[in-house]
Amino acid sequence: MSQFMEFWNEFKRDKSGLVGLGILILCILLVVFEPLIIPYKEAGTKWRSIEYWQDNSQSAPPVWTNLFTKTKQAASADLRDFSKTVDADGNTIYQFHYNYQYDLAPYDLIIRAVGTGTIPLTVSVMRPDKQVIELFSTSLYNLSENEPIRISILNSSRDSALSFVREFESEENFGNIQTMSAGVTEIIFSEAKPGFVQNQIPLKGNYIFEIKVSQPIAEEGQEIPKVYFEEPHISVVGRVSGLLGTDNSKRDIFSGIIAGLKWALLIGFFTSIISVFVGVIYGIITAYFGGKVDSAMMFFWDYFISLPVLPILIVAAAIFKPSIWTLVGVLIVFSWAGSVKTVRSIALQIKEETFVEAARALGASHGRIIFRHMAPILIPYSFASMALAVPGAIIYESTVSLLGLGDTTVVTWGQILNDAYQGQAMLTGLWWWIIPPGLAIAIIGMTFAFLGFALDRILHPKLQTR
Amino acid sequence: MYKWYAIKRILKGIVIYSLLIFTFSLLFNKVADETQRSQIEEQVRAEAMRQKGKKAEEIKAFQDQRRKALIRLYGLDKPYFEKVISRTVKTLTFNFGKSTIIKSSDGDRDVRKIIFETIPRSLLLFTLAAIIELIIAIILGLKKAQNPGKSLDKGTTLVTMILYGLPTWWLAMLLVMLFAYIIKIFPSGGMYSSPPPEGIMRLFDMLYHMILPLATLVLLGFWGGSFFIRNIVLSILQEDYIMSARARGIPEKKVLFGHTLRSAAPPIVTMVLLGIIGSLGGAIIFEGIFSWPGMGNLYWIALQQNDIPVLLADLAITTGIYQLGLIALDLIYGFLDPRIKVGGKA
Repeated sequence: MSQFMEFWNEFKRDKSGLVGLGILILCILLVVFEPLIIPYKEAGTKWRSIEYWQDNSQSAPPVWTNLFTKTKQAASADLRDFSKTVDADGNTIYQFHYNYQYDLAPYDLIIRAVGTGTIPLTVSVMRPDKQVIELFSTSLYNLSENEPIRISILNSSRDSALSFVREFESEENFGNIQTMSAGVTEIIFSEAKPGFVQNQIPLKGNYIFEIKVSQPIAEEGQEIPKVYFEEPHISVVGRVSGLLGTDNSKRDIFSGIIAGLKWALLIGFFTSIISVFVGVIYGIITAYFGGKVDSAMMFFWDYFISLPVLPILIVAAAIFKPSIWTLVGVLIVFSWAGSVKTVRSIALQIKEETFVEAARALGASHGRIIFRHMAPILIPYSFASMALAVPGAIIYESTVSLLGLGDTTVVTWGQILNDAYQGQAMLTGLWWWIIPPGLAIAIIGMTFAFLGFALDRILHPKLQTR
Repeated sequence: MYKWYAIKRILKGIVIYSLLIFTFSLLFNKVADETQRSQIEEQVRAEAMRQKGKKAEEIKAFQDQRRKALIRLYGLDKPYFEKVISRTVKTLTFNFGKSTIIKSSDGDRDVRKIIFETIPRSLLLFTLAAIIELIIAIILGLKKAQNPGKSLDKGTTLVTMILYGLPTWWLAMLLVMLFAYIIKIFPSGGMYSSPPPEGIMRLFDMLYHMILPLATLVLLGFWGGSFFIRNIVLSILQEDYIMSARARGIPEKKVLFGHTLRSAAPPIVTMVLLGIIGSLGGAIIFEGIFSWPGMGNLYWIALQQNDIPVLLADLAITTGIYQLGLIALDLIYGFLDPRIKVGGKA
């Protein structure tokens, strides 16, 4: 314990080491509280599900870009708060309030719910200028139990939007509008006056969306069918979305980055800890036994150090299509050799120390001397190497993923970058798709560099005074 | 004595290289087999097309016969182990055969030709980058070592740590996006414009295409090197002979460049050489992003097109260059530092 306190007192003095430790703790907290932080809870498991992301907007910049632009673009939102009333005819009315304070209307509004059976449905909106547009009215037939309902206003309200325009526009203007593709949402969110479709002026204020579920009329001699309509909400498909925007498959990049953090840490930790540990033990064994064993083992080491890691890793990944765990295994196989030589040279000195000689004279077995006497001295030294090996492992994984050879059942930063590269993000300037994943890799790398350099400074001189 | 040390080292290198190629043959056996079979199938079909005026059965019999003959010719009917050995020997003697899809710049499908025309391109880019990095690293490293613990030293060390885990190819993507697509001042990739200009302009065109990749490499490359040089120089500066040199009134410049750098040369040479040979094969994504037609880019293309002969050959050559580099390094080291040779006796 006192040894630990002594170590901590030394460590405290290293400012960059403390920063590294702080970021690492923050990362671990992010991993632990991931479900609370990310807006899309199943981002990690449903990253490649088209259905899961379909209500999002495509290639939308982050929300905070509005701070730097003059025309504020509508942000994606999910309207979940509603008031439910039942009118005299037994129709159920759900009211949603949407406070619109932007200059550019959202792309679309999507009505979502789950329902069973046949549901007659009317959706209307009351605008801040008290105009009411009945957006559409439809009947959903024979839904199976708890079937998801998804109605896009863009697709179903074009006619009603146009007839709303007709009330204000002159005849000749209206003819022009009909032929051009007037956006439904632009009509809903603009001030209504002649010529308003061509020169849109945003109408800011409180919009009330109303979903009316009518009571079905009972057929002769039958009971009135019960309408089941639950969990209604309205997805606003905005022009800007989330903390880090979305990619061209409508995925929320922020959720992806946070969901990828645990894999980066896992790959880094497992690969570095196991491979450095194996390397240390290998180095001690070859130094301890010396002679023929040393020659044979160092030849084997020479073989491994001559392997060009990345090309082989890529070929292996292409042939075997590894899961994330086998990839970690392969990384360990290729990276244990790195720490052997330094360990061996130090172990050669320790081997000659009197305490090893004493242990041998007392009849200690080889295994005991290696694991109980030599390894405890050399393992702390290797903590620094472990920390410094983490970024390399993460970069190797991202490189393999960037080539499209990673494990597709999880989401890693390399895969997000691969999608960005394949999706021409560089060409189209979708910087919010390229910068975050790489920056995340760089920050993790920096964190472990801070820790590794600090550990190196503290542990290295200790070893020499021993 | 140095002669024996050198011969021993070279022999060891050859043995290890053979073992590596053997491993690759094992790894590639199945896919290479499949490739060769489909090549045979293609050839048989082409030959059958030329057999005119024959009945369907005759053509089928002809195809079967040709297929058998070709399979025997390429040794595909031999037992597993024999196939691996023969592929190892073929690879070791640079008999890479023909590629399946990829062609060299003059349309040849000879794998050797395809590979050998990419080597100088990679070598040019990475050697040039290494030289620029080395110059900056030495200047900065010496400055850092002269005033250790001062703000310049501390600041640059901090930057070194911050950039420690930053992937080069990510910076490459950013710079391409910024300087090739948003601000269009550099080409987005390749080595020459198409069509390439003639004469001296061809050289300038290549340099123009090289600016962005070179800048990416250098921007990230020299930090680690300067830190490394700082540490070596710092430990040498504490030696007695440096103190005596200073006491004798030898100018500081001469102490730094004459005495200190001479002693620091072996590890610096190692660093630079390892950096160059490492990036030849390892810059797969980097070259891919800049479409720089070097070995790494070829590796990526071969992987995407599933061109196994090119892939295996590229891997073999990359490993060969790496192995050559390691041998050269040990030989140079033994030459520069006589103590190594004594260690080599064991």
